[in-house]
This record gives sequence, structure tokens and C-alpha cells, in this order.
Amino acid sequence: MIPGRTAFPLTEAQEGLWYAQALDRANPIFNCGQYIELRGGLDVARFTRAFDAAVAQSPALRLRFGMEGGAPRQWLAEAGPRLEVVDLANAGDPEAEALARMWADNDRAIDLAEEQASRFALYLLSGDRAFWYERIHHLATDGFGIVLLTNRVGELYSAQETGKPPAPFPALGAVFEEDAAYRASERRAAEAAFWQGEMRGLETVAGPAEGRAVTSTRLDRARAELSQEFRARLMAVSKAARVGWPDVLTVLTAAYFSRVSGTGERVFGLPFMGRMGTKAARVPCMWMNVLPYRCDPDEDTPLPELLQAEARRLGSLRKHGRYRSEQLRRDLRRTAIDARLYGPLINVQPFDMPPRFAGLEAHLHILGAGAVDDITATFRGDAIASLSLEIDSNPALYSKAEARAHLARLEVFLMGALGSERLADVPTLTPQEERWAVHGVNATDHPVPEITLTDLICAQMRATPDAPAVAFGSTTLSYAELDRRSAALASALHARGAGPGKVVATALPRSEHLAVALVAILRAGAAYVPLDPENPPARLGALLERTGAVALLAEADLDAGGMAPFAPEAWPETGEAPEPGTTPDDLAYILFTSGSTGEPKGVMIEHRAIVNRLLWMRDHYGIDTADRILQKTPITFDVSVWELFLPYLCGGTLVFAEPGAHRDPSAIARLVRAQGITTMHFVPSMLSAFLEAPASEGLELTRVFCSGEALTAEHRTRFHARVKAQLHNLYGPTEAAVDVTYWDAAPEDESQPLPIGFPVWNTRVHVLDARMRPVPPGVHGQLYLGGVQLARGYLGRPDLTAERFVPDPFRRGARLYATGDVAFMRPDGAVVYAGRADHQVKIRGMRIEPGEIEGAIRVTGLVRDAVVIARADGGAEPRLVAYVLTGPAFDSAPLLADLATALPAHMVPAAVVALESWPMTSSGKLDRKALPAPVLSMPKGTPPVGPVEERLAALYAEVLHLPQAPGREADFFDLGGDSLTALTLSFRIEAIFGQDPGLGQIFETPGLAQLARALEMADTARAGLAPLLPLAEGQGALLFILHPAGGLGWGYRRLARALTAPRPVFALQSPMLTGAPLPGALRALASDYADRIEAQAPRGMIHLAGWSVGGILAQEVAVELAARGRALGLVAMLDSYPAECWRAEPELTDAEALRALLAIAGHDPDRHPDLDSRAAVVGFLKQGGTPLGSLPDAVLDAVVQLVTGTNRLIRGHHHRRYDGVLTHVRAARDHAGRDLHAGLWAPHAAQVVAIDLPLLHPEMVSQAAAEALGPAFSARMVAAEAGQLTEVLRA
Amino acid sequence: MSLTQEKMRADIAEALEIAPEEITAEANLFDLGLDSMRLMLLVMGWQDEAEDADLSEIWEHQTFAGWWGVVAAQKVGV
Repeated sequence: MIPGRTAFPLTEAQEGLWYAQALDRANPIFNCGQYIELRGGLDVARFTRAFDAAVAQSPALRLRFGMEGGAPRQWLAEAGPRLEVVDLANAGDPEAEALARMWADNDRAIDLAEEQASRFALYLLSGDRAFWYERIHHLATDGFGIVLLTNRVGELYSAQETGKPPAPFPALGAVFEEDAAYRASERRAAEAAFWQGEMRGLETVAGPAEGRAVTSTRLDRARAELSQEFRARLMAVSKAARVGWPDVLTVLTAAYFSRVSGTGERVFGLPFMGRMGTKAARVPCMWMNVLPYRCDPDEDTPLPELLQAEARRLGSLRKHGRYRSEQLRRDLRRTAIDARLYGPLINVQPFDMPPRFAGLEAHLHILGAGAVDDITATFRGDAIASLSLEIDSNPALYSKAEARAHLARLEVFLMGALGSERLADVPTLTPQEERWAVHGVNATDHPVPEITLTDLICAQMRATPDAPAVAFGSTTLSYAELDRRSAALASALHARGAGPGKVVATALPRSEHLAVALVAILRAGAAYVPLDPENPPARLGALLERTGAVALLAEADLDAGGMAPFAPEAWPETGEAPEPGTTPDDLAYILFTSGSTGEPKGVMIEHRAIVNRLLWMRDHYGIDTADRILQKTPITFDVSVWELFLPYLCGGTLVFAEPGAHRDPSAIARLVRAQGITTMHFVPSMLSAFLEAPASEGLELTRVFCSGEALTAEHRTRFHARVKAQLHNLYGPTEAAVDVTYWDAAPEDESQPLPIGFPVWNTRVHVLDARMRPVPPGVHGQLYLGGVQLARGYLGRPDLTAERFVPDPFRRGARLYATGDVAFMRPDGAVVYAGRADHQVKIRGMRIEPGEIEGAIRVTGLVRDAVVIARADGGAEPRLVAYVLTGPAFDSAPLLADLATALPAHMVPAAVVALESWPMTSSGKLDRKALPAPVLSMPKGTPPVGPVEERLAALYAEVLHLPQAPGREADFFDLGGDSLTALTLSFRIEAIFGQDPGLGQIFETPGLAQLARALEMADTARAGLAPLLPLAEGQGALLFILHPAGGLGWGYRRLARALTAPRPVFALQSPMLTGAPLPGALRALASDYADRIEAQAPRGMIHLAGWSVGGILAQEVAVELAARGRALGLVAMLDSYPAECWRAEPELTDAEALRALLAIAGHDPDRHPDLDSRAAVVGFLKQGGTPLGSLPDAVLDAVVQLVTGTNRLIRGHHHRRYDGVLTHVRAARDHAGRDLHAGLWAPHAAQVVAIDLPLLHPEMVSQAAAEALGPAFSARMVAAEAGQLTEVLRA
Repeated sequence: MSLTQEKMRADIAEALEIAPEEITAEANLFDLGLDSMRLMLLVMGWQDEAEDADLSEIWEHQTFAGWWGVVAAQKVGV
């Protein structure tokens, strides 16, 4: 303790906030700023006197805070805050000037130990208008304390006229006494038990937005004044239900947020002043608490009854409201960010009325009111004279437009609820939103002729008799031949009883016979049923019986369990096609889909449905006579339907892949090239395998369609880096005639996640809640489909049909198909698939979407693909298991270490299983059931592994006074740790390891092994600053990759690993990161780098590469090394352009340098316009768990300075000619508006070889770029070492 | 100056949905079901009748006697 002042502990209420601020000391969000607009003849001297007197009664305004003896403490500064009086009358725009000053102050993080916790100013704008600014850190006082202080100044100012000075505030000491008494009381223990009961079994808490709910450094605010009619209705409902109006608002707002939140529990935070009946009631101080209110109202209960029951609960929560929710989180072991206790806040403040100043008009304006982790609805006013609604939102989770939409929707919802008998009757959307969601996005009406699929095929056969219709190997059928042969077979089928309403089965393999068979069945008027000849005879027999098939077209030797096949050898050569009078309402085909349980379901599709689907596809993509469409999907799956018939609808050619070829990427690529395929389909997991196959490199065709599984942004990037074709994502169940939505996944599409898109012709899509009400954009719901493509139903199963094909609530007499898929709608109406409801898993009570973990695994670049499932092998608790596609010698440790920093602890897989290929089902989809069980495991109480875990275990034991060192699964908080001991632990770690992990890290990864991994990561990050960073090992000459502007070379890891011939690779990083000064010229820098390279590679050939600035450095280093007589091989630059392109550019501003830092960390700066200060950028990086964020501040500073410094060096640089070959890789999708190309290097090298990659500049170090460049660079380096570089380049 | 003991007791009883007789002088109002929200609404309601008197000291008390003591000290009650 510092002599001369008395420091005392924080109250429990202050502790909660102190830890929140300690997570990021540079965050100004805890500044509670506001100003009172005063109109009238203000007496400044009198105001100052009133202010001074009020401050004298409010010692909390003098509080200072700091750490002492391992714990936060507070003490009183000698002098209280003074009122600054600032005359702005002469300023150009006094009001704007005052606002700018107030915001600047409110947005600045204060040093709690050195500065006043509060600041006050009186801005005089003109003779009769002034702004009184108040800013107090939340630690010193809560919102109610500010109201007390503000009103007190008003009362003292007015007292001169009223003659009634108010009774002074009680002393601050009363607050500390109350706090100490409560801490020691039995009541506290009883309340702890009450809250643990309230929260029993709590699962993941939902909110309206996806993402991590951690406060930003600012908030967005949208505000509405609620009407007289609203207030009158509120009061009437309150009176009739005998429930206080604040409780009415709380319950109805909770009901609204329940509606618009995603999967998970509904718990709301209720700010609670908690002072009443205590000595702290009238003391300006920090006292408030946030009460978790678990509420998912039963919408069928009559509203008054619901309100009464909930009001009783609210009363009970408030009665136990002294118990801190931060403490409750620790009690419940829910300290990690993703284990929050409550989502949106609901804050009703009836007492927050403007202060009264005698002779003046006063209006309150709030600038800041503390942290907003998610979203907060605040009601202010007495509900008689006025009532306002504010939506404060975290800009990291909600756009301004989304926040405004919540404001508008909540107001309409409340108004609706106040006029309804039960909540179930109240729509979620505003009428305008509902019109858009139901009709606007579904305006898909398009005329389609009253015609059958058969009519369309026959018309084409007559129109282009000589054109090729079908190709299979060397066999080709013209349309005329198809016509003749299908007519003959149709006639034979007709004779066997085929006709409208009848069914003919086919189990033929891919061949021209299959083409003839299908057209013949349709011409006979029957529906076709495809069967898999690989199925056991009993099953085939059962399906034939169920469908009542009149014939089976199959190979002669097929045993179909009874019915004899009508084989191609027996088909007639001639015959007249019958005229069966088929109508669009007759069935075209029946497809069997495997139900999740029980027998397969026969989906019955009518001509009208499939005609709509096929004509839409033909017109939408402009498919015509020139197109050659590949048929490779097994005919038992519905994708085959367009492959088999679309060619006949546009006069193109159907090209059959040979049987079995559909699972062989090389065979597919060969076929595409040999047959000139223009149009084909992939299931995304097959596409992924295809893109990995060498044969797919450089393939060109017109368009590729994907469906059947989720197509990801990762797929899109990899596809366009490798194949030259359009990429289209389609979505639809068999029950809606193949596909119902479409999305163009073009190279310039940046959607993440990639949508399934918009509805096709005459089709409607709805995202609905469990009561079939549309949900707002961004909110998950079940996807329902309507329109002309819906199936007639399930064959012979009216019960199942009724279950899945339900009445359309928006169209009388129409039906909707319930897909069972979870989706949300983007604000532009595009639908995004969000998984099957049944894929979601629960681990230790937390709901998890495995897709999120799969995404995190893919971005590490350590594996080719990943699938995550929850397994409960042998009746154990379910555990997350990651299956990854890798080579045979895979070590999961680096992957798990990456994941430990990228994901919350409960989402890190318990086991990783490496596979070389995916098990596939017969339809080419991933066979989840065939994934092998992992061999494990880590029993409880495993001894710590390695020195870091051992030392950490000793520290856990020391800090928590444990009798022995804990095992590596031990959780700090499970062992009895709390915020205070966590802080002690962080100090001890700093003392022992020499690095401060930060309090936030301990809360995020309280597990011993995980915390050890996090420490190691941070350690690696620091070790990773050395000028020469080894990236890969192997044989051959060394490759040095020079750093980009920020000086770091970590980003080259992917490229180093993608080299097909492994060799030693080093990143050359700026020595400035470890404290060296930046030289005055680029040439000096290059000379230094040449020294370092020579020290590492004293003899032999040297290869160089570099991205951006690194490429410019590579050229200069190459010149330098060549002058020293060294042999150079590859000299490659990734999207670098010579100095003369940059010379005219102005010096980078600090803001631009910071944005560059974001780009270096892998974020798109344009998506984070709010990150405009160093503190904001660093805070963001730390939160994101990127390795960059774990760097010490001094290093981050160096990175920012390097960005500016190296740019300056480049502008002053003049190139020397390199007498060798430069390999230039251009980011071909970038540089809009600037003609940047490889040729610019021509004056500076003997030869320049240009490679184009369809990527953006920042993507040149991405996995996609690495995959493209690894083989190319390897080939060039090997050739250079063999003395053949120029030959290779010419080839 | 129209705020009376009877009026206060009746208002509290109505807010807590109990009989006025249950509100004895020493009964703890919070034990009877009062919470801060209702307390604020009650005091806001009385403020009009108490005119310029400062009733905020009521907030520090838990019993009816304590509350009335604040009003009596302000000399606004009759």
C-alpha cells in the first residue's frame, strides 16, 4: 500500500466490472457519458456552486483504482472533480464543437489509477443554451448513481428559489458496510442456492445474432418515442392484469427476443438497481446487478395469466437480486465467453426522467451506458407522460440496419401483443417484412406450357432428327434413332399394360439402352421407377411389388426376386408409339429415398413438376443444342433426372459415363476432355476429391452444378483456382423435383457462408418457426417449400405424406413441404442452408454445430478436408471426433494446438482420426455411419505432459492450495478458482514463464492442458520473430521467402508445406521485430538479408520468393547475391510491382498502416470500418485468438511502424537489373482500375515469366494459392538445380 | 399535502395484493413481497401528492414505520 492514503477492497459489484475492464484496459466502453441540454437563462455561478456542493456529497467521484498485493483496490483522491466551464459561443458551430469534445472524451479509455474516474464540463453555446457534460466510469457509479447526482445538482440549483435544500447523501462508508455485511450474511448463501436452482441444467444461451458476444469499444443506438396509443394500451393491460407496467414490458420484450433468437436457451439479463431498503439507496456509487431471467413463454397461455405468472417470478428474482451474476457464473463454471449466462438485456427505467432546474428547460442525452455484449432494449420514462425505446447493439454482431430492424419489429410486436389475447396470435415480423418474406422473395411466377415431359422430348426428336442425342463410349444415337427405338419399345410396353397411372421399373446400367428405356416408358404413358441392380433380390422384389410395376427393364441375368427382366436383347426393333393421352398431372417418375428410419419412401413426381424444373434450368442457364451434358449420377438419385432429360429439351447431347466412372476423378476428367463435356454435376465432397486429383488441373468447361451437400466458400475458392467454368450451387429435396433454389458461386462471389440462393420458377421458399410463422432475416428456422414442383406425396403412405406435406398458411388450398433443413434468409432474400436439425450435437449441455468446427479445421490448412461428428461409443458421454483427410504420417498435435486457440474449449475435438479418403455411399455422398471409431483415450487424472504442463500444474496447486498437482484435464474453476485466484495465477505465470497470459485467456481456457497449449502458442509466436524462421525441411537447395510489409513471415507456412518436393524453407523476417533499427535504404536492407542468407546457405544454389513487398526485396537480394557470385535458381514474386508504381503514392497514414495490420492477420479491413485506432485493432486481434493478437504490444507497434517504414523505403528505391529469370505471379482478380502486370518488371530482369492466379492480393498466401504454386515452384526449383530452368520455362 | 398514513398503507396493500391490516408498523415490506420496481412506482405516485417534499429517503427503509417516519419528518403528511 502506498503511504499516505487508505486503500480498501472493491465491493462485489465493482469487482465484476473491474474484471470486465481488465480484459481490455484500453476499451472505453465503461465510460458512462451523458449531457443535459439546458435552455433558458442559466446562472453559471449558481450552477457551479450547486455542482461543487453535489460533488462534495459524492465521494465516489474521487475514486481511483489499481492493483495492490495481487488484488484490485480503490482509494480516494484528495480533490474531487471540478466543473470546466467552456464558452463556445464564438465557435463556428458551437453545438458540433461541444458534441465533438464530449464524444472525444467519452471514447477515450482512462487510466483508473492516475486519472479522475469522472469528468464534468459546462459548454456554453449561446446566451440561453448550454450542454452540461457528465462522464463517470462505471466502476465509480452506476446509472442510478448518475441520476442521483444529476438530480442533486438540479435540486441545489433550484433550492435558491424553492428554499428547500435537499438532505445530503449518506456517506460512502455506508455502501462498504452494506457490502461487507452482505458478503458475510447467511442470506448470501441462501441466494446463491436460489440462483443455482433457477439456472439448473442450463444449456447454451441463445441470442438473435450468431457470433461471440464480447463487448466492442463502442455501441450502436437506435431510438424510438413510443406513442400515446402505445402508452395507453400498456397502462390498460397493466391495470387489467394487475401487473406493473415495467413487468409487462419486460415479459413481452423477452417474448420478442425469444422469437428471434437461434437455437439454445432463452435467458435475458435484467439490470437491477438493487438498492432499495439499503443504506446505499441514496448514495451515488456502483451497486447495480444484472439478473438472469430464464424465460421462454408459453404463447398459448392467455396473456393476463402469463403476465401474472411471470411477474411473480420477476418479483422473486428481484428479491434475491443482491447475489452477483458474475459470482453465479463462477459458481456454475460458465466463465468462458460462449458459456454466458444471459443473452439480450432488457432494461426498464421508469425513474430515468430529466432533472429539474428552476427556470430552465432540461433534456437528457445519453452518450454511453456501459458495455453491450449482445443487444439491449431500454425503456425510459414514466409511461404516462412519455416512454422511449432504445436498442443498443454490439456493432460486432449487428449491423446498423439490423439494429434498426429490431427496434421497428420490437415496437410493432409489443403493440400487437398489448392488443392480443395470447402471444401465439402475434406475428414476429412487421407487416412490411412479412409481405417481403412471404411474397417479395417468392415472386417467381413464370408461364410454363400445359405439357408433359414426353411432349417436350417428342417435339425435339422431330425437330432435330439428325443431331446426336445420346453418346456412350463409341456408340451414338441420333434423335431419329432414339425416336425409332423408343417408339418400338413403348409399343411393347403398352402391350404389357403400361399407360398413365402405371409404373415400369428399370434397373439398367448406364448405356444407350437406358436412354431408350426411359423415353419409351414415358411414351407408353407410364411413370418410371429406377432400381439399383446391386440391391438384393428380395429388396428389388419388394419394391416392384409396392409400385405395382407392369414391367422391369433390366439386364437378362438380373434376379429381381420374381419378375423376369425385359432385357434389351428382347426389345423390338420397330413399332408404333402409342397415344396414351398422358397429362401434366400424371406421374413421370417415382424415386425411393432412404428414410432415416424404416422402409424407403417412394416420392411421386408429376410431369408438371419436373417440366417446370427442367425448363427453368434450360432457360436460366441458356443450355442449348451445343451443350453436351454428362450423365454420371446413379439413376436412383434425383440429380440424374436432369442429366437424363435436359439434353432432349434443348437439343443437346446426353453423354453417359461408363459404369463405375463416377467415383474416379481421373476417369471423369478424361471423359470431360475427350467428350467435350460442357455441363456436369458434382456432390461437393466428390468435387473436393476431384479438385485434389492432378487430372482436374486446368480443366475447362461451361458450367458445373453442385448439390446434395453443402457447398462451401472454400470449395468455391479451390474450384476457381483450378477449373475454368461457372460454378452453380443448387438445392432441393427429391420431394420437390430435384432442385428448388439456385446460387451463382462465381469467382467474384464473396458470400460466406455460401447461400443456396433464390427460388426457381413458380416456387416458394419460407423460413418458418415451429408455429409456421416467418422469422426475420438472419434468424434460423425450418425451410419450407411450396409451388408447382412439390411431389404428389409418398407412394402408399398417406400418413407420411400428411406429416411432411402440410397446409400452406399463406395460400388457401396450397401445400408446403417441410424439409427438415435449418436455414436462414439473408437481407437480400438469398437462403442460406444451416445444417440438418438432427446433425446438431450436444456436448456437456452445449449445443454445437459441427460445421463450425469443420470450418475451423479447414482454415488451418493442415488437412485437405474435415468432418466432425459427436460419437458416444460404448455408451460413453458423447465426444467430438474430427475426421481429417491427410497423408499417412499425420500428427494431430499442431492441429489441436491451432484449434485450441481458434475455438472455445468445448468445441475442440476430443480425438482426431486421419483418413486418406472418405467412405462414400453409393450415391457418392459421405457415409457418416462408416467413419471408424477413434482409438483413445485420455482418462481422467492423466499426469501433466511436458515442462509447460508440469509447471502449470504446480502453479494451479500453489494458487488453489491443492494437496497435490492436478491432472491435465483439470479445470481451474472446477478446482475452486475464481476471478481473484485467476488473477493471482496470471501473475504467477508471468513470474515463472516470463509472459502474461492475460486474465481473459484463463477464463477462455481454464483447462490445464488447454492453457498450457495457449501459453506454448504465445511462446511460439515470440520465438517465431527470429529473422530466419524455419518453415519446412527436406532435400535440395534452400528456399528463402522474404517477408511482406509487416515484417512477419508466418503466412508462408502453407506455401512451404505445399512444395511437392520437400526442401529446407526459411521465412526471412524483419530484424526490426526483435529491436533492430530500420536502415535508411532498401539496398542496405537487402544487403543485410543477403548476409543472413549466405550465413545459412554458405554454398550451393539459392532460391528466393516473396509476396508483395517481399517480392521487391527478393529482386534486390537476388541482384546482391548474384553480384557476390552466388548461383540463383527460382526468384519468384507474388503479386509485387516495381518501385516506380508506388513512388507517387503519399506516405501511409497511421490508420492505413493499422488496416494493413488487419490484412496481415488475415482479416478484410473493409469489413471492419469501426477498427480505426491502434487500441481497437489490437483489442480485436487479441479477441479473435489470432497468433498476431498474442504478440506483445512492443512487437505489434514494430509491425505497424514497419508497414509505414518499408513503404517509405520502397518509394525511394531504384531497381538494379537482375540478369536472370523472374517468375511473377499476378493476383488476377485484383487491381481493378490499375494496370499492374508482370511486364512492369521487364526493365529490371533478363526475363520475366508470368503466371496468373484468379485470386485477390491478400489471397496470395492462402491455401488455394499454396496448392497452385507448390507444384509449380517445386518443378522450377528442381529444374534450376538440374540446370534446365530456361528449358522448363520455354516448355 | 394530502398524503396520509391510510393512503400509503392502502397503496402498498394494493401493490402487494394483501390486506392493509397485514402491513403492521414493523413488518418488513420486502418480506411481504415488495421489490424495488414496485417501491419506485409507489414513491413516484406519492411524489405528486407530497409536492416538493423529498421522499427519496424512503428508499433506505424496509418497514412501514420507517417509511412513514420519512414522510412525517418532511411534514407533508397529515
